[in-house]
Amino acid sequence: MTALPSSRLATLGDELELACAADLSTRPRRRTRRMVLVAAVVAVVLGAAAAIAADQLSTSDVANSLPAGTAALIGTNPTCTAVKQNVEYHCVLARAPAPEVSDWKGTVEPTVDSTKHVNGGCRALRSDGLEWQCYLGQAAVDQQIVSQGFLGQYAPAPGHG
Amino acid sequence: MALPTDADLLAAARTDASAFRAFYERYAERVHGYHLRRTREPDAAYDLTAETFAQAWLARGRFRDRTGGTAGPWLFAIARNVLVDSVRRRRLERSACERLGVLVEAATEPDETWLDGLDETLDHLPAGQADAVRLRVVDELEYDDVARELGTTEAAARVRVHRGLAALRHRLRERLEAS
Repeated sequence: MTALPSSRLATLGDELELACAADLSTRPRRRTRRMVLVAAVVAVVLGAAAAIAADQLSTSDVANSLPAGTAALIGTNPTCTAVKQNVEYHCVLARAPAPEVSDWKGTVEPTVDSTKHVNGGCRALRSDGLEWQCYLGQAAVDQQIVSQGFLGQYAPAPGHG
Repeated sequence: MALPTDADLLAAARTDASAFRAFYERYAERVHGYHLRRTREPDAAYDLTAETFAQAWLARGRFRDRTGGTAGPWLFAIARNVLVDSVRRRRLERSACERLGVLVEAATEPDETWLDGLDETLDHLPAGQADAVRLRVVDELEYDDVARELGTTEAAARVRVHRGLAALRHRLRERLEAS
């Protein structure tokens, strides 16, 4: 086993720095493009898309998105029921979340889908954190749980705090 | 003038790629060493290192400073996830690199042996110490939260973490000397 020459790591650092700079410079444009695309899709195929999405998204998908978005909810085994399919869900945890905060009531946390992108957010209904109301997509923005810019962002690991 | 902390660098990196480069310089060799020890394959370790930092870049806005300015536990948690995800999916995790346009080339197929003993060092600690170290270092909880989780006092939690880390240092030293 031979250690890589540090020059290779330096090259990787150069590549990463360039990629990061490009990511910073292109982000607003990308967001605008995405918003335009989303608006077009909504305007043209809202009904069909909703029907397809309704078929694709299960309550367990929603339940899985809680711990995927928030580290404190890992191991809490949530179960969710649809209030409004693909928009609003009521979720109950089998175990209390990690005690990151003393009173969870009113706390908001993002949710992350199986592709590791922010897909909505939840608001705690109880101080012990066992009950949450969750919203997907634009509904989470409307509920002021996540910002428009944060929705759809890549989130490779559950968030802390 | 004091050096910026990891937390300072990651905060600056929200709008400044050079700050992230400084963060990378600080940890690149250690992260690469971590992956190389697991995989024993230089090319795979290089690509896993690239993916670890690419994911760290994309997640930097979500870093919360809970350990006095250091981002080491956070970064190595990402490194561990990249490694585990790669083995589970039987291909090197590279989604963040692809998203950023960073080229990675290894054709290596992850091997389950990469995970051998991944957490065994922690598992060899007494349960109370292992839980305390995991909560403090991996989950990045504050000591009062660690104490609450363990059902003990903050002082006792600090002692458990201190003893657990001391035991880990001792064990790792033994393993290094043996190899």
